[in-house]
Amino acid sequence: MNDIQASEQVWNPLGYKELYRDLFKRHLTRQEHLLSKKRPVGWFFSFHPSELIYVFDVVSAFPEQYSAYCAARGSSVDLIDTSIAKGYSHFLCDYFKTTVGSIVEPEKATKPLMPKPDFIVDSRALCVGHHEMAEVFAKYYGVPRYTVNYPYWTPDSLKNVDELTKEAEWAEELYVEYTTKRLHGLIEFMESVAGEMDEDKFKEVFKKSEKTSRLLVEILNMMMAKPTPGSQREIGDLVFIAFFVLGSDYAYEFCHRAYQLIKDRVKRGEGVSDEKHRLLTFGIMPWHSLSLYEYCEKLGATFPVNLYVNASVHLVDSSKPFESMVRRSMHFTNATYDMLDSVVRAAKKADIDAALLLENTGCRITSMIIRPLADTLREELGVQSLILEAPQCDARAMPLERAKTQIEAFLESLS
Amino acid sequence: MLREPFREFYNIFSRKERLREYRKNGRKIIGTICNNVPEEIIHSLGGVPVRLIGEYENTPLANSKAPSWMCSYARGVLEGGLSGDFDFVDGIVGATTDDTKLHLFSAYRFYVKPSFSYMVQFPYVNDELSFEFFTKELRRFAEKLSSFLSTNFIDERLEKSIDVYNEFRELCEKLEELRRDDAPKITASEWMSLMLASNAMLKEDFNSMVSARLDELKEMDGMKDYRLRIHLSGTDFYHLGLLNLLGECGAVVVSDDLCTSAGYYSGFVEGTDIESLAKRYMGCTACVMTAHPGKLSVEERLNFIWQRIDESGAEAIVILKDRGCEVCGHQCPWIVMESELPVLVLDLDFPLSVEQYRTRIEAFIEAHGGG
Ligand code: SF4
Ligand code: SF4
Repeated sequence: MNDIQASEQVWNPLGYKELYRDLFKRHLTRQEHLLSKKRPVGWFFSFHPSELIYVFDVVSAFPEQYSAYCAARGSSVDLIDTSIAKGYSHFLCDYFKTTVGSIVEPEKATKPLMPKPDFIVDSRALCVGHHEMAEVFAKYYGVPRYTVNYPYWTPDSLKNVDELTKEAEWAEELYVEYTTKRLHGLIEFMESVAGEMDEDKFKEVFKKSEKTSRLLVEILNMMMAKPTPGSQREIGDLVFIAFFVLGSDYAYEFCHRAYQLIKDRVKRGEGVSDEKHRLLTFGIMPWHSLSLYEYCEKLGATFPVNLYVNASVHLVDSSKPFESMVRRSMHFTNATYDMLDSVVRAAKKADIDAALLLENTGCRITSMIIRPLADTLREELGVQSLILEAPQCDARAMPLERAKTQIEAFLESLS
Repeated sequence: MLREPFREFYNIFSRKERLREYRKNGRKIIGTICNNVPEEIIHSLGGVPVRLIGEYENTPLANSKAPSWMCSYARGVLEGGLSGDFDFVDGIVGATTDDTKLHLFSAYRFYVKPSFSYMVQFPYVNDELSFEFFTKELRRFAEKLSSFLSTNFIDERLEKSIDVYNEFRELCEKLEELRRDDAPKITASEWMSLMLASNAMLKEDFNSMVSARLDELKEMDGMKDYRLRIHLSGTDFYHLGLLNLLGECGAVVVSDDLCTSAGYYSGFVEGTDIESLAKRYMGCTACVMTAHPGKLSVEERLNFIWQRIDESGAEAIVILKDRGCEVCGHQCPWIVMESELPVLVLDLDFPLSVEQYRTRIEAFIEAHGGG
């Protein structure tokens, strides 16, 4: 099927676009307000406890999100080249290279730039890449950095985790305790850069976070309905909420409205398109070519499960805030591949019939899991996977037309 | 290229006969995939700690299960596991020191299914809280392994193992004097063959082999006709061909910070218990990930490098930058930026075709070498 035929197909997104526009506007207004009040700027990474950003009223910047923004606006390729010219390896992840490029040659980067950091919070709840980046950024700017070590979960330290809520039957006390103590240390660190913590505000933010997290989990649960109610063009951006602004008013309000939209859609039994294949997808989304999802959906290949988005959410229990912060790290991308069990359960529940897996060149996390994931889906569920090389910020390695051809051939083979 | 006794050491590494022999005698072989795994614990429980190193030109099996741009070290280990060449390995132990090692551990477990596996959770901050945690983590590791090996963890045994490993470190320092000499007596590839052998046999056996040959080594002809004394920087590197080429071009390696060499043996355990062990492993400044509060690990590593350069009289640095190594990938620019010595960066693409580097090495030595 060619482009024209694909564009003639039904494509009926949920309508989150407006909601995102409002969310980003409110986020930026907050940032500007705090900047004008000269509040400190922190750089954070995905899976950090974002609630603390709101507890401490600090300006937040996210190298990963900024890099995705540069990719969507077309500046990331130049920034990646700048970083390589500086001696950083080609096979570091795109977020690393794009951000370094924007530090070294800001004139090439998409505006607005991230505000310069006063401090950096580095957590290893996903990858050592965050820790490595934090080192380099802290060295460039000469600012303090705090590290939270989360464990890399193994079968002898974590049992039976729910794929969405991340609730576990059991987690090794020693690891939970150490991480909790480091999180208390993070609060002390934040106090040293942003002033004393307000206990009431802490409670209030975590309550909001809990409500938001429940809605996020529900939205992703409902995505598994038949037919698939929404598009990955809208669902993919939920990671921004789950990773970076969880705990804010605007995140809650967004989720509240987004939940209603998807709930109504499911009630009506409407799908995003004329569903022929239900695909699981995994890998960081190629931010330069998000239209690919729309293209697939128009071809009748919908995505009821996006494991990357699923990994980003967790259920917050505001009565146990520290436990919840630790829970954030209990996703299958931060564990030995035994945890693919939970993925199989989700895939079964969503009744998928194929998978589209994205190998993000330079990212060891996604790229190393891809083949075991494909093997598991094949062996456990008889499901075939298409693996595409897709660096998330560098369109050169993933020409859109080539990707479309590969996807079409794959879908044809399924039919 | 290798003179005796280095050939003999190299053969121990490449043939793995000793390991099979230990196994035949009832010992379990525990493969480690990071030099930050406290081997003394494995040793004290009666296991044979072996750093897994796969020596392959090509890694087709690994490439089918992991991206082909991964570092050569990880691909080599996976190839060894998938091909069955590591069939003598009973268990593996990793450490959370970089993403590659995390996922190498997971992939190895997933595909090769060793009978035992453990991931040592390494703190990234060298402070009191992390030290307490790490001590407990090492006890946890000891417990799990002792149940696999059906032995009890006994303090006196650990003390003995620490002695054996400290003796090994002391011997390495003695050997270092030979390669730092004005007329170095050990070439780079000979040095690496010793390091590789030390990873493929029990340390007490290595210690006695080296001790018995130390005098012979001291009497060996030193190299006088070299043109440049260099410090080698990198991570899990062990390719003898490239080391030979450096020698052919007139360089003599007098120091390094490789994970497979100085990064492995540097630093004694000051004490006899598990706390002392925790202190040593957390304080390894050659380790690229752990730093003291307020410090960056890249800075601590740079200090380690400068100190080694001072002690060895190296006149230049050659960085062996595996294109898939994430650690080289982000630290290499800082070594180049902060070094007062000339630096040559060799981007290594495996399988390595060594000759392609000759012209650049020669030009570098021409520009910076004496004689
Ligand atoms: S998960 Fe991968 S892409 Fe994301 S920051 Fe870590 S290394 Fe980079
Ligand atoms: S330090 Fe480099 S070479 Fe060693 S395992 Fe990590 S990425 Fe590979």
